[in-house]
Amino acid sequence: MTDTPLMTAIELYLTLGVAVFLLSLHGLMTLHDPIRRLIAVNLMGAGTFLVMVSLARRSEVPDPVLHALVVTGLVVAISATAFALRLIIAAHTEGGKQRDREDRNTEGGGKQPP
Amino acid sequence: MNFALLSLAIPLFSGLLLLLCGRALRTRITGFIAIASTLISLVCAWFALQEVAAAGTSLLLNLGGWETGLAIRMRLSSLSALLLLFTALMHLLIGLYAGLNRAGINRDFWALSCFLHGSLAALWLSADLFNLYITLELLGLTAVAMVALSGKKAYRPAAHYLILSLAASLFYLLGVALLYGRYGELDVLLLAPRTEADVTTRLALLLMTTGLMLKSALWPLHLWLPPAHASAPTAVSALLSGLVVKGPLYILWVLWSEVAPPALAQQIGPVLAIAGMIALTAGGLSAMRSPSIKTLVAYSTVAQLGYALMALGLLLTWQLPQMHIALWLFVIAHGLAKASLFLAAGEMQSSLGTRRVAGLRGATQTVPVAMFAFAVAGGSLIGLPPSGGFLAKWVLLEPLLSQPQNWPWALGVLLGTLVSAAYIFRVVALSFDRARINPPDINPDRVGHWLALLPALMVWGMALSGEWLIQLLAGGGV
Amino acid sequence: MTLSWTTLLPVLIILSSLIPGLLIFATPEAAARRRITLNLTGVSLKLLLVGLMLAGVSQGLEFRFELTFLPGAQLVLQGDALALQFVALSSVLWLMTTIYAIAYLENSPLRSRFFGYFSLCVSTTVGLALAGNMITFLLFYELLTLATFPLVVHRGTPEALRAGRVYLAYTLGGGALLLMGIALLHSIAGTPDFVPGGYLTALADEHAFSLRIAFGLMILGLGVKAALVPLHGWLPQAMVAPAPVSALLHAVAVVKAGAFGIIRVVYDVYGIEATTLLSLTQPLMWLAAITIIFASIRALQQQDIKKRLAYSTVSQVSYITLGVSLVGPIAAVGAIVHLVHQGLMKVTLFFCAGNFAETLGIHKIQEMDGLGQRMPWSMAAFTVGALGMIGVPPIAGFISKWYLITGALEVNQQWVLLVLGGSALLNAAYFLPLIYRGWFRAPPAGGWHDNNFADQRLETHWMLLLPPLITALLSILVGVFAGTIFSPLGWSQFIVNREFGL
Repeated sequence: MTDTPLMTAIELYLTLGVAVFLLSLHGLMTLHDPIRRLIAVNLMGAGTFLVMVSLARRSEVPDPVLHALVVTGLVVAISATAFALRLIIAAHTEGGKQRDREDRNTEGGGKQPP
Repeated sequence: MNFALLSLAIPLFSGLLLLLCGRALRTRITGFIAIASTLISLVCAWFALQEVAAAGTSLLLNLGGWETGLAIRMRLSSLSALLLLFTALMHLLIGLYAGLNRAGINRDFWALSCFLHGSLAALWLSADLFNLYITLELLGLTAVAMVALSGKKAYRPAAHYLILSLAASLFYLLGVALLYGRYGELDVLLLAPRTEADVTTRLALLLMTTGLMLKSALWPLHLWLPPAHASAPTAVSALLSGLVVKGPLYILWVLWSEVAPPALAQQIGPVLAIAGMIALTAGGLSAMRSPSIKTLVAYSTVAQLGYALMALGLLLTWQLPQMHIALWLFVIAHGLAKASLFLAAGEMQSSLGTRRVAGLRGATQTVPVAMFAFAVAGGSLIGLPPSGGFLAKWVLLEPLLSQPQNWPWALGVLLGTLVSAAYIFRVVALSFDRARINPPDINPDRVGHWLALLPALMVWGMALSGEWLIQLLAGGGV
Repeated sequence: MTLSWTTLLPVLIILSSLIPGLLIFATPEAAARRRITLNLTGVSLKLLLVGLMLAGVSQGLEFRFELTFLPGAQLVLQGDALALQFVALSSVLWLMTTIYAIAYLENSPLRSRFFGYFSLCVSTTVGLALAGNMITFLLFYELLTLATFPLVVHRGTPEALRAGRVYLAYTLGGGALLLMGIALLHSIAGTPDFVPGGYLTALADEHAFSLRIAFGLMILGLGVKAALVPLHGWLPQAMVAPAPVSALLHAVAVVKAGAFGIIRVVYDVYGIEATTLLSLTQPLMWLAAITIIFASIRALQQQDIKKRLAYSTVSQVSYITLGVSLVGPIAAVGAIVHLVHQGLMKVTLFFCAGNFAETLGIHKIQEMDGLGQRMPWSMAAFTVGALGMIGVPPIAGFISKWYLITGALEVNQQWVLLVLGGSALLNAAYFLPLIYRGWFRAPPAGGWHDNNFADQRLETHWMLLLPPLITALLSILVGVFAGTIFSPLGWSQFIVNREFGL
């Protein structure tokens, strides 16, 4: 941890990550459209991952644990986003109604999270 | 430890099985597989409890045989064993209802309920902050999918629930990242002795607490709960209110009573306790005003979680073992009572063909068993002796009353009791109305009504095993 | 714990009404005969078991059943002399009320529900009487609220529901306060069994403040059911319930449960010594005195027969509290014996009021003119009850008042004489006009509202007539034979000798 310019770069990324997190949190709280809110949540995720990746870079050899966490987090985020999109679309479109009818005919209702 | 792992693995694998070949099976068989796996899981949880009680201390397991520090660790304490048992029991009771009541349930329910069971079991057993995050996400996604089971009208609340749940998880994850960045540890037991009350730790804990409070709908972050829980199918509402909100609460407890430095915990304690007191009153008042039956029951969850939050807050403030016992007794008693309340509410809704509280006029005549279940379960929420709710309240009150300076907290409990009595008896009194009776639409489903009564009877039976429960929680509460 | 008949008897006494009650819930509405059989079997069995226990206790046997419940607080059922006084009273009056209710509710809907809760109500009352410590008492006290609520709202009319809500608001509030008091007490002294002389004397100095608060909370909680002013508001409202329920609330179960609880708290928890040491008797005495006078005046203002009786109950039950708070052995005898005496007389009055309403549709006092000509037997029973309330010898009420007066003189509280004298005058003022109208006024020219049972040999259904006649007779008999050992008075003396260590 002697390399000063590197530290500042990390600090910059950390700050950026937190800023993204906070900005998108603001978006989440003020927006009403579900798609926008979903995007806001995804951006919050991006902020979080940025923080994690920058934290991993603090040592000379990047911390593999944090990288593993980020990868896991990304997988969760992607699948959850897909699920959320499906739900939002289903709630908005005509397809939703059809789906509703299908539900009663014992065909599956909600989507399984991938 | 093996039994505990079995108790976790069996529902998870039957969930996978049902997901992969559920379509090929008849719905009845699907339900049978799910219930059978729950039953086996229940038996395993019982043996796990015996095992940990015999050992007298909590058991640890390093997953994959890695050495401590690298491995993800699992921990079986007497508390987690009890929660495993509780989870399996709740799934069994609700599964029986879902399978045997006349209206039936969407076949996807079974796979999802198995997943829910598995992820909760994993949550109780995890002793690793990141692993807890994974279980939290699993829990949230499954819960959302289950809300969506009731069809299109539930998609919007489900989507809302999902987005909030994701945001909450990210709060938690960011906190985990900060803690890891500060201490380089994720394991709860390794982290615990090292934490210090510095800025990073404070910030991390604050972020995680916010996320967890949002997830378990603790006041003031509870607004998403009533629409989500009220729009789900009946059996799902019962699972969500009775079990799912308890998961994040458990993590919150682990975080503050183990990970956080005691000095910080003592600072946050009163804040949480006051939030709990407000939740009790505000949630109760909302329940009292709620026009629809299920929303009333959902608001009552918000109120009852106030008791748990209060117990947690006071546990952190004074570090008293009684508060620990009270907290988990509340969780268990509320789970059983709430299951009964939701099942009864759902049955009454479908039998009387109305969602409105006012539609319950004359329910003691038209749907006597379901109404009785509602009243009996409500009695436990109020804390009438000798129910499980009373047991918890009694344990909570004891230390509050022994010192005169603690009496204001006892007033909070008194207030909570009165408010819960008000919203429960609002319904019960209406149901005795004979002048303006609401006739049932369809012939009431007797089996469903009796199955709704079952958890309520169990929560009143809790009193008989009260001493055993208290000793269990006092002895090895980690 | 070995299971012998002495441990099981208290449980059996409770089960003897609980099990028939549960079976009655499952009885189809039409199966009236089966319901009646269940009811009467339960009652007879209970009376038999209570008789057995009475014999046992007078022989010096101990009846105790315990079950683990909370740490440091077991569920204890114990048949001591005081408990038996209440148990015997409620069992005998349950028999009467059941007979009465069978006839009263003939052909009305939802009888299975009614009699089911009726039996539950008696089971909890008996449990409350047999409770061996405060926790057990609290348990049955709350269950009693739950079991009586469906009876209060039984008619299901908007008025009944309103009364039911008021009843719940008062009693659940009271229950919550009682819980607080008991929990506070538990945190100071644990929850041992009730003992004559109490278990707090040694702690009175050290924890004076907390003990006073706990006492206040518990008296408030119990005072709701005992209808102490200003906590009496629910009782007159609850009059919308069917007559047998009113009889049950006023004479057997609810009001008595409160009064009985006060006796327990003062004698067997705090003990006379600690109560005096903490100077708690004076406030209690004032509360009782105010209740007696205030409720009597309110009774005078009522024009509805049942409402007048309700306020009379508020006033009369406070005699018990007054006797307890005087802390002398003679006043204590008066208080404990009044538990029984008031029950017998008040149940008579309510049965008669129910008969008037059922037979002739009479609810108001003005409508009672000439009632004695049409219903001489009911009117006679009513007269016995009313005169007893006023305190005319040799009816039961005279005995209690006599003991209260001598008890007050014994402990030099002369002002209590004024209260008792004033109350007797007020009693006379609100009961004598009824008697006068009934016997000495001419019947109304246009006849009565209804004229049911006119074609029968008796003035009304025989099952409506028999219970008040028996209870009226009993209230005379317990007065006449007060001197014998097995009269309520003799038994009360036996209890007080133990409490005061005489």
